[in-house]
Amino acid sequence: MCVGLSAKVVDIKEDTAIIDADGVKKEINAALIDELEVGDYIMVHAGTAIAKIGSDINVLDEIL
Amino acid sequence: MIEKAKNIIQNYNGKPLRIMEVCGTHTHEIFRLGIRSLLPRQVDLISGPGCPVCVTPVNYIDKAIYLAQKGCCICTFGDLVRVPGSESSLAQARAQGGDIKTVYSPEDAMLYATQHPEKKVVFLAVGFETTVPAVCIAVDSAKKNGIDNFSVLTAHKTMPAAYEALKGSADVFIYPGHVNAITGNAVCKELTKQGVSGVVAGFTAEELLMAFAVILTLYEKDTPFFKNCYTSVVKDEGNIAAQKLINKIMTPCDSTWRGLGVIKGSGLMLKSEYSNYDAMIKYDVPDIKGSPNPACKCADILMGKCKPPQCPLFGKVCTPLKPVGACMVSGEGACSAYYQYGENL
Repeated sequence: MCVGLSAKVVDIKEDTAIIDADGVKKEINAALIDELEVGDYIMVHAGTAIAKIGSDINVLDEIL
Repeated sequence: MIEKAKNIIQNYNGKPLRIMEVCGTHTHEIFRLGIRSLLPRQVDLISGPGCPVCVTPVNYIDKAIYLAQKGCCICTFGDLVRVPGSESSLAQARAQGGDIKTVYSPEDAMLYATQHPEKKVVFLAVGFETTVPAVCIAVDSAKKNGIDNFSVLTAHKTMPAAYEALKGSADVFIYPGHVNAITGNAVCKELTKQGVSGVVAGFTAEELLMAFAVILTLYEKDTPFFKNCYTSVVKDEGNIAAQKLINKIMTPCDSTWRGLGVIKGSGLMLKSEYSNYDAMIKYDVPDIKGSPNPACKCADILMGKCKPPQCPLFGKVCTPLKPVGACMVSGEGACSAYYQYGENL
């Protein structure tokens, strides 16, 4: 249910983006991501960007 | 962080616990990364129902084959092609002349319909909240552009009602990271109030080790907990634009899950204003009942009631090359993971 592809955005045109995933370039739908910029990393599922990838919080350090 | 997490996991000396990885991708990654070999004996991992192909009932495949036999062009994700229906599979339907195409996305299927106006293109819309937005984009675009030869056969599932059905199957749930990326964490937090513990996890070795270390640390405190261990992708509120799009195009419905039966309100279907894109209505598909192989234990495996090697067919008559059940076909299926990586890991 969670097969995803993390990739870098290299171009944006209206609701679509060109991504670079380990050297492979592909056009995907980016309509569901706000304020997307070239250079952002996104998570792609079934040809659609579902989330922008941000920084991680170390939850383990928080609870210890 | 990795060393710290590894130490916590390997030195866990608390009470026994059952952890269910709801998502099939987690099942495979935990096997592939060798994380099972780090876990102490009192930690039992159970594979859950989070493989869209695995929970799709046999009669859905029968309906897709019916549509192919009626002359529709079936566009589908690759892993559905070899899933056995009651008597046949889409692969066999293709061998008999059926027009079955593998596509990467619902939008690709919609574009194919645009390029082939002579074909009746049906996309097989299975999957959880993660996949639904992509299907909604394709349907919305088809309606806006008047692409009338495109439709979808929906068997979408949503997780909240399924969590209710799974209560008691495990002590702690590893929630599916990319479902929560869409839905947000509200349902999981609500479950905590009902005594159900869980964490959202990512899929890399570092993310999974942190999730297990957090589970084992918090489980010893004897208080129900929820933690988001995948903050790089999952926001508390989820993807609001995707949620709005789903609400615009889809409406909840009862849905049949292989293994769990009919769960009220656990599915999504197209709203009536999009009925022209619903293949069931458009092509008047009959209510085919379907009959799964009675010896196949996929249903019990999806509920965490038994493990793949306990199925009498596993590794004998049911293998990835000749699968009997959906869990052996899908790249996210538990049987496929056990077969690929070894049940003793």
